[in-house]
Amino acid sequence: MDGAKVGERMLECRGLRRSFGKIVAVDGVGFHINPGETYGLLGPNGAGKTTTISMIAGLLERDAGEVVVAGEPMTTHSVRAKGALGYVPQDLAIYPDLSGRENLMFFARLYGMSTAEARHRSDEVLALTGLADRAGDQTKQYSGGMKRRLNIGIGLLHRPRLLILDEPTVGVDPQSRNAILESVEGLSGAGMAVLYTTHYMEEAERLCDRIGIIDHGKLIAEGTRGELVSMVGEGDQVRLSATGNLTGAAAKLSARSWVRQAKALDGGIDLVVENARSELPAILTDAAVDGVAIRSVEVTEPDLEAVFLHLTGRALRD
Amino acid sequence: MKAFWIGMANLRRMFRVLTNIFFVFVFPLVLILVLGATFGGSSSPRLGVVSVGSGSLGTALLGELEQIPHLRVVTVSDPATLLTQVERGNLAAGVIIPPGYDGAVRAGHDAALRYLARPDQSSQQLGETVRGAVARQAALLGSARFAVAQHAAPDFSAGLAAATRLSPAVPAVSVTQTNAGTTLFSRTLGQFDEGAWTELLLFLFLTAMTGSVALIETRRLGLSRRMLATPTSPATVITGETLGRVLISCVQALVIILGSALLFGVNWGQPAGVAAVVIIFALVAAGAGVFVGTLFRNEQQAIGISLLLGLGLGALGGCMVPLEVFSPTMRQVAHITPQAWGNDAFAKLVGHGASIAGILPQLGILAAYAVVLLVLASWRLRRVLSA
Amino acid sequence: MRAAWLICVKDLRARLRDRSALLIGIVVPLGLAFIFNSIFSGISGASDVISLGVVNADHGVASQQFTSHVLPAVDRSGLITIHTEPSLARARALAANGTLAAVIVIPAGFSARVQANQPASMQVIGNVDAPVSTQIARSIAESYAADLNRVRLSVATAAGSTPLSPAQTQALAAQAAATSAPVTVTDVSAQTKELNQKSFFAAGMAVFFLFFTVQFGVTSLLEERNDGTLARLLAAPISRASILGAKLLTSFLLGVISMAVLVAATTVLFGAAWGNPVGVTVLIVTAIMAATGIMALIATLARNAEQAANWQSVVAVILGLIGGTFFPVSQAPGVLSSLTFVAPQAWFLRGLGDLRGGGVSVVWVPALAMLAFAAVTGGLALFRLRRLAEV
Repeated sequence: MDGAKVGERMLECRGLRRSFGKIVAVDGVGFHINPGETYGLLGPNGAGKTTTISMIAGLLERDAGEVVVAGEPMTTHSVRAKGALGYVPQDLAIYPDLSGRENLMFFARLYGMSTAEARHRSDEVLALTGLADRAGDQTKQYSGGMKRRLNIGIGLLHRPRLLILDEPTVGVDPQSRNAILESVEGLSGAGMAVLYTTHYMEEAERLCDRIGIIDHGKLIAEGTRGELVSMVGEGDQVRLSATGNLTGAAAKLSARSWVRQAKALDGGIDLVVENARSELPAILTDAAVDGVAIRSVEVTEPDLEAVFLHLTGRALRD
Repeated sequence: MKAFWIGMANLRRMFRVLTNIFFVFVFPLVLILVLGATFGGSSSPRLGVVSVGSGSLGTALLGELEQIPHLRVVTVSDPATLLTQVERGNLAAGVIIPPGYDGAVRAGHDAALRYLARPDQSSQQLGETVRGAVARQAALLGSARFAVAQHAAPDFSAGLAAATRLSPAVPAVSVTQTNAGTTLFSRTLGQFDEGAWTELLLFLFLTAMTGSVALIETRRLGLSRRMLATPTSPATVITGETLGRVLISCVQALVIILGSALLFGVNWGQPAGVAAVVIIFALVAAGAGVFVGTLFRNEQQAIGISLLLGLGLGALGGCMVPLEVFSPTMRQVAHITPQAWGNDAFAKLVGHGASIAGILPQLGILAAYAVVLLVLASWRLRRVLSA
Repeated sequence: MRAAWLICVKDLRARLRDRSALLIGIVVPLGLAFIFNSIFSGISGASDVISLGVVNADHGVASQQFTSHVLPAVDRSGLITIHTEPSLARARALAANGTLAAVIVIPAGFSARVQANQPASMQVIGNVDAPVSTQIARSIAESYAADLNRVRLSVATAAGSTPLSPAQTQALAAQAAATSAPVTVTDVSAQTKELNQKSFFAAGMAVFFLFFTVQFGVTSLLEERNDGTLARLLAAPISRASILGAKLLTSFLLGVISMAVLVAATTVLFGAAWGNPVGVTVLIVTAIMAATGIMALIATLARNAEQAANWQSVVAVILGLIGGTFFPVSQAPGVLSSLTFVAPQAWFLRGLGDLRGGGVSVVWVPALAMLAFAAVTGGLALFRLRRLAEV
């Protein structure tokens, strides 16, 4: 491994493999995350996301492969590597009989902070998560949303260099979900590297710089959103609802280099174009020339669902 | 009818957990067995005797000791073991017949037996019994020696033979015994009898109390709400829950009674009487269990309090140490508990062969307990379910 | 080490807040000890002395000998008190209601019959529910009767087939009476190596509930796995050993707190006598270790916290029973009394009993036995725990 290059990466994992009995849950997954980058692990339920995360966080033994976190090798026993990692599990992992502050103080100290540091940092996180006024109450009295915020807050206590969030919005109401997504955006904006697993395409699209698509334990595709979408090779769908000389307009549009397909239908024109956003003015101009009156335009860009469907023949969400 | 199904659901839920089967059925029977085996037999004190090497006279003396009624003689191999057993309380006291006892006495020397006792009173008091047996043998030995001294016999053995021969003919000073007072139990109790009824009452109550935890779970799991959402009146739910406890108690009683009767030959007395006591006590226990169940939200706390009340009231009511051993004051205090009244009823049924008519007072009082507890329980349950 | 301590403190805080540990560890055993204490303080004490009555309707030589020499000797020890009753009817009534355990009656004409070498008898009237005390009364009377019989038999044996004149009989009788009995009984006092009843119940309850108190430690590992917080602990920069160690430490400390409070409370409130402090401490510490090990091992064999708690309760109750914490099983027949040593509770109680009658060194054997329990079960538990501590 090239020392300088490795030193740059926040997370490096290669060839991760893990079986449970006969079932191979993760089969040769490998990717890297650069500092300050938000990397999304997108896949349906049962794809192996949590197993992969568990191996990266040092919770689960690997059958094969390597994990290096911030330059430190990671195993189930690694104390140094774990110190650089923040972990927010999918299920709420907070102690119900302790107060919010006691939960934070406990984990802060567990991560090696002195009592004074722990207290200071706990106050910060309480402020950050908006739980300062309920800090003294036992968490079993918190609402679901409050518990979620605390759950994330604990992961941030020790200012980790890489934060792992395992499907943090499952079963969460839309308002809280939005709040969570905003906080993650804020964190990555502040320069934290984030590994975010989800089966919600919208979240991956909104938050992540790069996305790895995982299915049946294998990483089947990886890249920015643009790179992935272009893998599909489809292009954007544009549906014009119009009247007039539709066939003529369609023919004209077909001639354009960036139009892949143009079909005149009853009541409109269906187009498949590359990069509809930038070419939309040209489409409208071309269509309008032959006296076609356009009533409405609908642009559908291919999304990660489409990518997944293209790659696996199945839907991302069942 | 719905109440019955709610009750059956309770019964079924209880059976599903294997450890419940242990605590509700197996453990009481095991306890009855151990109690009966340890204490149920004769309550006579045990006397350890070491007679190794003491010769035929020593063996004869051992025989004298074994004849004493209300005393169990245990032979021990050596003095050191005897001392340990006495000190540990396994033996009430010990006697050491020294080796060479036979020879010494025949040769005309005096012999001394050692009596080992602990500092406590009962251990020491037993010494009188030993002295009595020794005195009886001493009569023969003394006579033999006297005969030799008077030259009526050539040697000790001849003297002893003569004394033994003459002994039946000599007019004797004897001791006769009669008994006074009414006995606690006019019929002889079987070895396991008293343990059986006391443990039955203890466990009926204890199971109902810890079973109240099941009620909390029902609440916690939101099942009570769900039951109320169906066209079922609160009264039916309440009856159903209580009926569930009673059903469990009755099944438990049936198993313990039949099991102990078949396995250990326990006599329970007149069936009608037994059924009456069991059913009314089951109602008392159910009322208490449901009432406690409504007082707590937390399972763990409920278990703790249930144990305390179940074991505590049981102990106080004479289920662990029998009532006849209580001091008069404590016996009065004991009758605060329903267990004490239940124990009284069974003592009459089994110990005096009473019929159901003979235990009506006790049944009446138990019924009163049942009514009060059930009223309290349903009042609380109603409040809790509507909360 | 620091991490283990942090986790342990966190657990203790949660447990003590929960109040269930307080209940099982302190309130329930103390409450039961209090109840047993109340029951037993009403029983022991004065009633251990046997009260016997004597009715002397005779007042002759032989009966006077009995009442003025034999009986006072018995009474002197203070264990058996003799009450002289003037009337037979009253004495019989007292025996019937149990005020007197038994009454020895010397009928009128007794001494005359003794003197005339005729058959004579003394009567014992015993309370029907005090068979042992009645037997003791009877033995006292029989000792005296046997002594009189010795004289008679001695005379008869010495005379052989030769008939004697009354004067000769008298002379021989006097001689016989003068010789001492060939066999005597000397008293040897033994130590008491068993706990008195108060202390027995205090110790029995304490060690019984100890096995429930220590459950909270390792079972919490299963709970944390269920609740998801175990994953957080594993993700933290601490060793697995510290997580496991913390759980065992929590069990141990809960046991220490519980036993300390119980020993103090029962001593101060009920006057229970636990014994030499050093010996008691050694026994308690090794008992807690044994309890922790056994309960931990069971927890590792269960699938979830609820199952663990159930099995632990079953084992704790069975061991408590055969270990003699409910009542002494040392007098039970054969198998049961040997089976008792499978339970650490038996060793604990045995240790306390021996401590009462001996020096501190007597605790080493029970302590080592309990350490052995701890080592074997604890070792197995740790081995299995390492597999458990995985998400």
